[in-house]
Amino acid sequence: MLKTEELQVNIGPQHPSTHGVFRMLVTVDGETLVDLKPVFGYLHRNHEQLGEVNSYLQNMPFTDRLDYFNSMVNNHAYARAVEQLAGIEVPERAQYIRVIMDELSRILNHASALGFLLGDMGAWQTSLLWGLREREKILDLFEYVSGARMMCNYSRFGGVARDIDDYFISEVKKLMQGLPRYFDEFERLLVENEILLVRAKGVGVLPKELALSYSVTGPLLRGSGVPYDVRKAEPYAVYDRFDFDIPVGTVGDVYDRFLVRVEEMRQSYRILEQALQQMPEAEGGHINPKVKQQSLKPPVGESYARVESPKGELGFYLVSDGSGSAYRYKVRAPSFINLSALADMCKGYKIADVVVILGSIDIVMGEVDR
Amino acid sequence: MTLSTRKGTVNIVEVNRHDNNIHAGQGTLKGLDIVFRKFRKALFGKANTERDDTEGQFNVQYPEERLVLAEAYRNMPILLYDDATGQELCTSCFQCERVCPPQVIHITQAKHPETGKPVPAAAEFVLEYDTCMSCGYCAEVCPFDAIKMDHDFELSTADHPALDVHYTHLLRPVSYYEAIAPTMWAEVRDAALKKLQNNIKRRPGNIGVDHGQKIAGKSSAAAPKAATPAAGAAGRKQYTGPIAKVGTSMSEDKLARLMAIREANTGKRGGPPESGAHAIEADVATNAAGQVAPSDQATSGSAASKATGPVAAPGKNMSEDKLARLMAIREANKAKQGE
Ligand code: SF4
Ligand code: SF4
Repeated sequence: MLKTEELQVNIGPQHPSTHGVFRMLVTVDGETLVDLKPVFGYLHRNHEQLGEVNSYLQNMPFTDRLDYFNSMVNNHAYARAVEQLAGIEVPERAQYIRVIMDELSRILNHASALGFLLGDMGAWQTSLLWGLREREKILDLFEYVSGARMMCNYSRFGGVARDIDDYFISEVKKLMQGLPRYFDEFERLLVENEILLVRAKGVGVLPKELALSYSVTGPLLRGSGVPYDVRKAEPYAVYDRFDFDIPVGTVGDVYDRFLVRVEEMRQSYRILEQALQQMPEAEGGHINPKVKQQSLKPPVGESYARVESPKGELGFYLVSDGSGSAYRYKVRAPSFINLSALADMCKGYKIADVVVILGSIDIVMGEVDR
Repeated sequence: MTLSTRKGTVNIVEVNRHDNNIHAGQGTLKGLDIVFRKFRKALFGKANTERDDTEGQFNVQYPEERLVLAEAYRNMPILLYDDATGQELCTSCFQCERVCPPQVIHITQAKHPETGKPVPAAAEFVLEYDTCMSCGYCAEVCPFDAIKMDHDFELSTADHPALDVHYTHLLRPVSYYEAIAPTMWAEVRDAALKKLQNNIKRRPGNIGVDHGQKIAGKSSAAAPKAATPAAGAAGRKQYTGPIAKVGTSMSEDKLARLMAIREANTGKRGGPPESGAHAIEADVATNAAGQVAPSDQATSGSAASKATGPVAAPGKNMSEDKLARLMAIREANKAKQGE
């Protein structure tokens, strides 16, 4: 047998399809990947330390900048952590508004994540824009209600910043009329595409046990066949009132993750339908008026609140010493923990698959590096 | 499959992996069929104006065409003054300065000229636009509705120090804000103006009006940067949806220009208009020549003639000693390569 020399190659830090400033130090034997070392930290912004000098309210807009695709979900999770810490009640209507925003976020995140994944496979612009088009429509709605497309800064302690009006609801309903057609077309466009099947089937397999031992979450874990979803495991907000399924994969490869995301968009659509139907009966306003937002001083204690962000379990851990800013502030970022499984997913596959596997994890570097 | 947990039952569905229906190339053709259909619709179909549309022309030809911005849209903060009297609404209560997460608001309180006691007005108000994160907290907490979020997003400038915006340039008349956010202003209008009247009583002399803005009943048209183009001369349009039809929010002459441009483009597809390209090149060359001149000996005068590509000519934004050092390094490299 001919022995070949192993070669070390840097992918990144700024490869166009590496989803941010991220470096992979890969060792290849011919075309086969032997080892992969992820190197990150290029986007470190001192987020957690900032959270310990800012007041609780001041930290809210900084959470937008974690996973900048889903600032609505980040706001929700952080607000929940503080509410738990300070014992704040959230009116029902506010809970429904948050759920609607979260599920819209999930649709836009999965649509664009799949677009990027297909872009990584070489489908380039068509499929990417296919995802971004739907995202754009939802972002317009976010802008209408919160004032910004991506840095929404929408949640407040005990509710949300502004109430949604009839125009918003009618536009969401209109958007939803087009969505089933959009999902169908998305599926027909690519799920049976032979090129996609060849690039995705059996690639980047993450076995169930390994996924659990890395404690990955989100579509990555469900793709590996574990039906774990925080919305069901620990129903927060009003998620226990909705009827929806959890899609799981069987093999745990890139294709399964792809399909799980498509199916999750449909389930989000179902939740949206039910939420819009139930919302008129919800009690209370959009915010708990008794809360002192600016001068909030939660009692001494700690809290951990988690939500199912589109990327996985997003958690905020807070320790209060009774003053106006957190004593300790920690983010459990799903992208970061999912990324740790990358090396094991890539070993043994071709170097060209690395970018596809990375795309199938769906990471955002803003959240990984913080 | 259902799973029973402590929190209730969970319905689990396994995704369909399409293992059986792989036919050589048919899946791909199916996808391409959709792409072509959409392509045809985009070329010949109608413009996409409703949120449930999934077909048609989605593009908006910025800057000729613009989307109508939502009322709540927030970009950078501005400060308001009363149209009729010129009185500024801000009382320098420091609420916004305190809440601002990146701490970019700097206020100096006005003092009574004789007694030296604080007066409910700001003497100076500086806002660092470059570091503001557009969170909107300042507008949210201001008890006097003096600071509001502007809709103007075309703020790019090469003049970085100018992004420390001072009071004079932050001030806009109330009528301007009313034009960009009518319902939001209507909600707070009466309370805000009543508070202002109370505060004016405690302002001696021309404190609170002396920041150089035009007063005495000028309409919003006369205000600095009168209005965002979207809310421009034609007045505020109803926020209809994400996608504007051609010309929905354009003035007529702009629309005519856009149509002319499009016509011209269909006439000669490919490449930007020639004269434009030349103009840019010439600009770069003259710039480079002007900048490089002082250290001509070091560069042997060749930089200017080469500076046609996108790469900046050496010395464009460098201090002189830095340029000299760079040139020395290049010289050394050249000498090394020659060996
Ligand atoms: S802008 Fe408003 S909050 Fe800020 S100092 Fe003036 S009155 Fe107070
Ligand atoms: S928008 Fe936010 S960051 Fe900007 S000045 Fe106001 S409070 Fe500060």
